[in-house]
Amino acid sequence: MTGPALHGTDAAAPADRESRGAGLHRAPRLRMVLHLARAEALILVRSVLVLAGLLAGVLAVWGWFWLNPVQPLWWWADWRIGAAELFLAMTVLVAAQLAAGRPRRDAMADLYASFPAAAGTRMLACLAGLAGAVPASVLLLGAAAVLVQLRGTIGAPSIMVLAGGVVLVIAAGAAGTAIGSRFPHPLAGLLGALALFLPTAMAHLLPAWSTWLIPWHYFPDQLGWLPGPLAGYPPAGGHAALLAGIAILAAIVALAVTVRSARARGLLAAGGVLAVAAIFFAGTVQLAPVPAAELDHLAAEMADPGSVQHCTTDSQVRYCLYPGFGRDLSSIETPVNEVLAILPARPSRPLTVRQALSVDFTDPALTRGQPQQQVSRWTAQTRNAPGIVPAAAAIYLTVGEWAAAGSLTDADFNVALATAGWAVGLTPAGQNTPLPGDQARAAIAIWLAILATHPPAGELQQGVQWHGFGLPGRPTFIAIWNYPEGGGVTASWPSRQPLPAAVYLLAKAMTGLPEQKVSRVLADRWATWLNGRTTDAQLAAALGIQVPSGPLPPKPAP
Amino acid sequence: MAWLRALPLLTRYITRTMPWVTLITGCLASLAIFTIGVRVAHHDQATFWLDQGTVRLSLLPAAAALAFVPYIPFRPLTRAVPVPAWVTPAGHLLLAAPILALTFWAQLRIMAPAIPPHAPQDPHEPFYALIAQLVGWSAIIVAAAACTARSRFADLGGAIAGPVSFAAIALAWYTPLSAKFLVKPPAIPHSITIGWYAIAAAALILACAAMRDHWHRFVP
Repeated sequence: MTGPALHGTDAAAPADRESRGAGLHRAPRLRMVLHLARAEALILVRSVLVLAGLLAGVLAVWGWFWLNPVQPLWWWADWRIGAAELFLAMTVLVAAQLAAGRPRRDAMADLYASFPAAAGTRMLACLAGLAGAVPASVLLLGAAAVLVQLRGTIGAPSIMVLAGGVVLVIAAGAAGTAIGSRFPHPLAGLLGALALFLPTAMAHLLPAWSTWLIPWHYFPDQLGWLPGPLAGYPPAGGHAALLAGIAILAAIVALAVTVRSARARGLLAAGGVLAVAAIFFAGTVQLAPVPAAELDHLAAEMADPGSVQHCTTDSQVRYCLYPGFGRDLSSIETPVNEVLAILPARPSRPLTVRQALSVDFTDPALTRGQPQQQVSRWTAQTRNAPGIVPAAAAIYLTVGEWAAAGSLTDADFNVALATAGWAVGLTPAGQNTPLPGDQARAAIAIWLAILATHPPAGELQQGVQWHGFGLPGRPTFIAIWNYPEGGGVTASWPSRQPLPAAVYLLAKAMTGLPEQKVSRVLADRWATWLNGRTTDAQLAAALGIQVPSGPLPPKPAP
Repeated sequence: MAWLRALPLLTRYITRTMPWVTLITGCLASLAIFTIGVRVAHHDQATFWLDQGTVRLSLLPAAAALAFVPYIPFRPLTRAVPVPAWVTPAGHLLLAAPILALTFWAQLRIMAPAIPPHAPQDPHEPFYALIAQLVGWSAIIVAAAACTARSRFADLGGAIAGPVSFAAIALAWYTPLSAKFLVKPPAIPHSITIGWYAIAAAALILACAAMRDHWHRFVP
C-alpha cells in the first residue's frame, strides 16, 4: 500500500540494518547483484507498463508514417522514431521508479532489511536490471524501421540517432531509479514521466534554441525539407552523449542514497562531477550552431540545384533529382509518360521536371548563432530559387512533399496535370484575375490528367464548391474546383490556384465519352484547341455535348 | 441506512486518511509547470502560443494525483466494518474536488494577464467546453482508479490508473472517430461539451459500480 511511504514512517531506519547485512554477505556480492539484476530485468521485460509503452510507441510510429501520405526521409524519420521511444521511456521511468521504491513502500522495509542483499546491492541490481528495457526499445526501433522502410523512405537511418533512442530509454529508467530511491510513492514516478513528456508537448512555448535539447519534439522543423542530412542539425552524437551523461548521473544519484561508506561516496561524488562535466560538454556541443559552411552549401543547393542534381532524359523530358532520390524517378516518370502517350502532338518546348527545396533560412532553429548579415545573404540568395517562383516549361517537386509508396494517387495526378498544362501551353492567370479564364485547353489538360492517372472520381468531385470573392461593392460567388493537393508540385499552370468548376465539369463529361472519339476531335483541330481564345462551349459543341451546368449556388444569407 | 449515523464520526477518519500530500503535490506541480510555461512564453514573446491546450497539458500532474485519491486504507479491515466500503473513497473525492477546482481557477488567473483579454470570451474556445473536458478526464481517472482498486493491483492503484487513463484520453483525442466529437477542430464546442459530459457520466457509473461492496451487507 502507498500510505506509509507517504508519511515516511520507515524510510531511514533500514539503512543501518542493511549495512550490517551487507557486511555479513560481502563475498558473493557480485553474484548476488547479477542474480538480482536478472530478476529485475525479467520483471521489467514482462512489465505491463513497459509493454504498454512499447505498444504506444508502435502506434505512434504507425500513425506518423503509415497514415501520413508523405514519403518519409530517413534523416527526419529517425528523429521521429526517437519521439516514439519517448513513450516507452516514460513507462520505463514509471516501472523503474516502482522497482526502486519497492523496499520502502507498503511497510516492507523490515522485510527487505532481513534479506541478505544490502540496499546498495539492490539498487545496483535495479540499475543493471534496466537492461530489461533494451529488448523493448530495440523491438520498437525494428518495428519502426520496417514501417518506415515500407513507405519507400529515402536515405539511410543514422545509427547514432537510433542509438540515441535506446539511450533515452535507459536514461529515463535510470532517472526513475533515482527518483524511486528517494521518493517511493508511485506518484513520484508519474510526475517524473510527465516531466519527461511536458517539455516535448509544450516545445512551442520554449525558445527556439532550447528545442534542440529535445530534438524528437513534434513542432515543425526543417529536417523534413532537406535534400539530405545536415551535419549538426541536430548533433546526434552530442545528443546521445548528453543522454548517456544524464543516465550515469541518475545512476550515481540512485546509488548515493543507498551507500554508506565514505570511500564509496567519494567515488560516487567524483563520478558525479565527471558526469555533470560530460553533460555540460555534450550540451554545449548540442547547442552549437550549424556550421556556416554546411548552410552555405545548403543555400547553394537550393539556389542552384543544377550544380548538385543528377539529371536524366527520358522521352525528351529532363528529370533532375537530388542525390539519393533516384528511386523516386520511376514514380515521377510514370504520370508524365502517360500524358505524353495520349497527347495528339507534343509541343516543341522541352520540359524539365526538377526537385526544389523550400528551406526557410529565417528559422532561428536552423541559423541560430549565425551573424544576421550572413542570414540575410542566405535569404537573398534563395529568395528566387527554382520552385519558389514557377517557370515556364518546368515542373518543380518540393523535396519532402512527394507521396509515399501506396499514396501516390494525388501526387501522380498533380504531376500529370502540370504536364498536361505544359503540353497545351497554359500559362498562369494574371495577378488581378481571380480565376483563369474560360479556355478549352484547360478542360483538355484536366481530361489528359484524369485519363493518365485515373484518380478516384469522388475525390475530384469533392473539390467542386462555391467560393465568394470579395470584389469591392459586389460580393461575387463563383463555382470553383480545388484539385487534390499532394506531391509538392509547382508549375506555371495550375499554379496552386483553384480552377473554374466549369472546366473540370467539362473534362469530367469528356471522360464519359469514348476516348477514341475525344482523341480524334482533339487531333483534328489541335492548333485551334491550344488557342487561348477557344472556349469550353466550342469544345463541347465539337464533342457533341452540352456544357455541363455547375453546382447550385449557395442560398443568400437572410 | 443506519450507517449514516456514523458519518459525523467518519469525517475525522476520512480527513486524516485523505492523501493530502499526494494531491497537493500534484496540484502544485501543475501550477509550477504552468507558471514556468507562461513565464518562458512571456519572456520569449511567444504568448500567442498560450491557449487552453496549455491549461490542459499542465493539469496532467494534478490529474495524475487524482488517481491516488480513491484509495481505501487498511482495505481488509475497512471492508469488514458495517459502513459501506465506498464511503471512504467517496469522501476523499469530495475533499479533492475543491482542491482541483482551486488549481484550475489559479491557472486561469495566472493565464489571464498573459493572453489577450478577449480570448476567454472567444466563442470558438468557450470555457464551458474546457471545463467539460477536464470533468471528463477526472471522471475517467477516478473510474480507472476505482477499477484498479478492485483488482489484484490495488496496492499500485494510482500508478496503474494514471497511465491507463492518460492512454484512454490520448486514444480518444487522436482517434479520428472519437476526435470528431471530442476535439476541436473538427468538433464544435457543444459537441465537445456533450461528448465529455456523457463520458464523465459513464465513467462515474463505472466508478460507482467498482467501488460498491464486495458482498451483501446484513442490515439489521
